[in-house]
Amino acid sequence: MKALTINIALCLVWCSALVCQPAHGTLKGSIKDAETGQAVVGANVTLQGTFLGAATDANGKFSIARVPVGSYALTVSMIGYERIRLDGVKSVADEATTLDIQIHSSPIQSEPVIVTANRREQSFQEVPVSVATVSAKMIADRNNVTLDDALRYVPGVNMMSDQVNIRGSTGYNRGVGSRVLVLLDGLPYITGDTGEINWETIPMFEVERIEIVKGAGSALYGSSALGGVINVITRETPAQPEFRFRAFSGLYDKPQYPEWQWTTKPRFNSGVIGSYAGGTGSLKYLVSVGRTVDESFRENDTYQRWSLFAKAKYDLSSSQSLTIAGNYLYRTHGNFFWWNSLQEPLRPAESQRNGLVTSDRGNISVAYKEFVSDKLFYTVKGIYFGNFWRDDSSGRVNNVSTSHLFSVDAQATYDMNSSHTLTFGFASNYDRVEANLFGTHPGVGAAVYAQDEMGVTGELKLTAGLRFDWERVSVLKATAQLNPKVGLVYMPDKETSIRASFGSGFRYPAIGELYIESSTNVSAVAVLPNPDLKVESSLSYEVGINRSIGSMIVVDVAAFRNDFKDLIEPSVQIKQYRPNPSSTYEVEGPVIQFDNVTKAMIEGVEADVRVEWWKKWFSTEIGYTYTWPWDVGDNVILKFRPRHILYAGGLLSWNRVRASVDFRFLSRIERIDENLVRLAPIVDGDARVAIKIVDVRASYDLIDLGYPLRIGFNINNLLNYSYVELLGNLGPVRTYYLTVEGLF
Amino acid sequence: MNGAIGTFLQIMKSLSLLIIAMFLVSCDHGLAPPPSVEPGFGGTLYFEKGTWPSPDSLNSLWLFASQVYPLDSVKVVQGLISNPPTIYLYPASDKSLPFNVDSVSYSFSPPVATYKYVGVIQRFANDINVHSLRVVGVYATNDTPPLPIPVIVNEGVFTPGISFRVNFYKPPPQPF
Repeated sequence: MKALTINIALCLVWCSALVCQPAHGTLKGSIKDAETGQAVVGANVTLQGTFLGAATDANGKFSIARVPVGSYALTVSMIGYERIRLDGVKSVADEATTLDIQIHSSPIQSEPVIVTANRREQSFQEVPVSVATVSAKMIADRNNVTLDDALRYVPGVNMMSDQVNIRGSTGYNRGVGSRVLVLLDGLPYITGDTGEINWETIPMFEVERIEIVKGAGSALYGSSALGGVINVITRETPAQPEFRFRAFSGLYDKPQYPEWQWTTKPRFNSGVIGSYAGGTGSLKYLVSVGRTVDESFRENDTYQRWSLFAKAKYDLSSSQSLTIAGNYLYRTHGNFFWWNSLQEPLRPAESQRNGLVTSDRGNISVAYKEFVSDKLFYTVKGIYFGNFWRDDSSGRVNNVSTSHLFSVDAQATYDMNSSHTLTFGFASNYDRVEANLFGTHPGVGAAVYAQDEMGVTGELKLTAGLRFDWERVSVLKATAQLNPKVGLVYMPDKETSIRASFGSGFRYPAIGELYIESSTNVSAVAVLPNPDLKVESSLSYEVGINRSIGSMIVVDVAAFRNDFKDLIEPSVQIKQYRPNPSSTYEVEGPVIQFDNVTKAMIEGVEADVRVEWWKKWFSTEIGYTYTWPWDVGDNVILKFRPRHILYAGGLLSWNRVRASVDFRFLSRIERIDENLVRLAPIVDGDARVAIKIVDVRASYDLIDLGYPLRIGFNINNLLNYSYVELLGNLGPVRTYYLTVEGLF
Repeated sequence: MNGAIGTFLQIMKSLSLLIIAMFLVSCDHGLAPPPSVEPGFGGTLYFEKGTWPSPDSLNSLWLFASQVYPLDSVKVVQGLISNPPTIYLYPASDKSLPFNVDSVSYSFSPPVATYKYVGVIQRFANDINVHSLRVVGVYATNDTPPLPIPVIVNEGVFTPGISFRVNFYKPPPQPF
C-alpha cells in the first residue's frame, strides 16, 4: 500500500511537471551584411530581458531554442557593424520563427557596446564621456601577458612601470594609492593594504575586452575613480566545449651599449596557458591554468608565476543566472627598485641584490542576475580579494602583509519608458590589513547611488547621477562624500555624436599611505606614517565630438579639464623623527611621508583618428593627447607628467595573415622630485628622455593547412631604444617573441 | 583595377612615410652611459666679509668630510689616523684653503661612502691637537641649530652644488 502511494505521488509530480512546463518555441534565421549580402559570422543575437541568445555560425545562421512563448526585443551586435534592435519578435509554441536580418557595417571597428560608463550596456556613441576599448584580439596579437602591457597602447593613457596614468591624473607613487579604479567584471579590484592595482592577477587569457573610461567616475564607482575607471570584462563561458592554449617564448636582446651587459647568458621570458571550457545543460564553466617564467633583462628582476582562473555560470531559468568566478596567483619576484647607476642600469643598487618578494593573491566572486521583465533587471555581486606578500633579503624575512577585502554591490536598472532609464544601487566594503609595515587596521564603507538617463528629445540625451559614500578606516573619524555627475549626448545625425560631461572623483587614503612606518632596507630613507591625511578629490569637465566621415574614417576629438584638490604624494625631506615608535630620542635624516601636498589643474585636448583602407584590409590609428599639468599650489608644472602622448598604429589583415606596427611617443617628463633622487639616493636618477618605442608583429593562421593553430612573431622595442618610465628603471630592451595559439 | 592598385600604392606610400618617420624620431637610441667621472662632490665656499681671523690664529683651513657623526675628540683623531681614515681633508693635510678670500670653488674626491658631516675646519696652531681645531662652517639645514646634511659619494658620480657659508664670528655648534 505504501509503495502504491509513493508511485501515485511520483506520477502526480511528473504529470504536474509536464502540465506546468511553459510552452516554448524556437527563433532562428540568418544575419547578412546589408551592403554585400554576405553572411556575417560570429554576430551576437540576444533576447532582451533574458539570458537566451546565440552567435551566428560560419554560414551566418543562428538558432535559439526553448524560448518561452511571448514577445521579445531581439538585438544583434557585431564588431564593425551597427547594433540593431527588433521589437515585437514573437516566440510561438512548438514552432520555429524565422528571421532574416540585414545589418549595416559601421566605420568604427570598436566594441559595439560599452558597459562601464553608465553601468549598463550602451552603444559607443551614446556615452557622454571618452571611452577606449582593448579587445581580446588586440591582447592576443600583442602577446600582452599582463593588463598594464595592454594599456600602453591606449591613447591618453601612460604607464610609469606598473602605475597607470590617465590624462595626467597620477604622478610618482610606485603604484600606491591608485587614482584609477580597476574593476574586474564590475567589482573593485584594488588591494586592501596599499590601494594599488595588482595587474598580474588579472586573467588576461580569459579577458573579453577592457573598457577605459577617462575622467572622474566616483558618482557611479566611489573611491579611487579620480582619473578614470578601467573595467576588465572576462569572457562568457562558451556554448560549446573547447580547449584553447597559448604558448610563447621571448628572448631578450643585448642592451644598446656593451658596457651595460651584465651577463653573457641569453635571457628568456616564456609562458604557457591552457583553458578548457565545458558544461552540461544550464551549467557552463571554464578553467585555465598558466605558468610564466621571466628571467628578465635585468639582474635580480626575475619572476615565476603560477595562475589559476575558473568561472562557472548556472542559468537558473531563462531570466536568472548565477556566476561564480575566482582566480589565484602565486608569484616570486626579484626586488629591483632602481638601478645601480646609469653606468650599470641593468643591475640593481647594492642593497637590492638579494631581495625576493613572494606573494599569494586571489579572489572569488559571486554574481546573481535576474531579469524581472524586459524593462527591469538587477544584479547582486560580491567579491573577496585576498593579498598576501612577503619580502625576503638574503634569506631573512623583512616585511609581511596580509589584506582581506570584501565588496558587495547590488544594482537595478529600470527602463521606465522611452525617456527614462533609471540605475540605482547599494555598495559596501570591508577590509582588514595585518602587516608589520602598516600595522593591523580594519576599514569599512557603504554607498548608495542613483542615475537617470533622460531622452530630452530624439537627438538629445541627458544623464544625471549622484552617489553618497561613507567610510571609516581604523580608529580615524568617519568621512562622507557626495559625488554628482551630469552628461549630455547630442546626435544630430547617424554619423555625429557630440558629448559634454561633468563628474567628480575622490579617493580615501589607503591604509598603506596612512600607517606605513619603516626604516626600510631599500635605501637610507625612513618612511613615516601620516594618519592626518585627508581625502583627495577631483572635478572633471569634458566636451567632445565623434564623427564618421564616409565609411572609412572616424574622428574623435575631446577637450578636458581636471581640477584636483589635496593630492596625496610622497614627499622626501630631511626631518627629525623617532627611529621607531618606542624610541625616546629623535634622529635626523631623509624621510618619505605621504602628504596632501598638491592642488592641481590639468587641461588638455585629445584627438583620435581611425582610418580603414582598401576594403578594410588595412587600418591605421593615430591618437594624440596634449596635457597641461599644473601645480596650482607651487605654480609650476606638476611632477612626473608627460605633456605629449602620441600613439600610432597600423594593422594589415589579409586572408590568414595579420601584421601590425605600433609606435608610442611620450615627451620627456619635465619635472621630477629632485629630493627623492638625491636622498634615496638614486644614482643618475634624474636621467630621462622622451619615450619612442616601435613594436612590430605578424601572425599566420594555419587553419587552411588543417591545423587549428595560429603562429606569431613579435619584436618589441624594435630599435632597442633606451628609456625610463620610472626613475632609475631602464625599460625593456629589444625582445623577440614566438607565440603559438590553438583552439580545439 | 587601376583604381585599386592606385589606392594600394597610396597606402604603401603612407605606410612607408609613417615607418620612416618612426625610425627617424627613434634613431637617437635614447639614454646612453654617462662619460666616466671621478666620484666626489664640489661647490663653492663663501666667506663672510670682515670675519677673517688674524693671521696668528690661522694656521690652516680645510674642507673636511667625515663618515662619522656626531664626533668627539677621540673620533676625530681616530678618523684622521685610522687606515682607511673616516675623515678626509681638502685640499690635503699638508695644504690649506686660501686665506682672506670672499669665496673659493672646490672639487673634492674622497672615497665612495656616505659623509654625514661636511664642513670647514680652522687650525689655530701648528700641532695635531683637537683643542687647536674648530669647525667654522657646515653643510647643513637652515634650522636652529643647523643640522648637517649627509653627502653621498657614489661610484661614477660627481655631485655639484655642495655650497655653504663660513662665518668665523659665528661658528656652528662644535662637535667636540
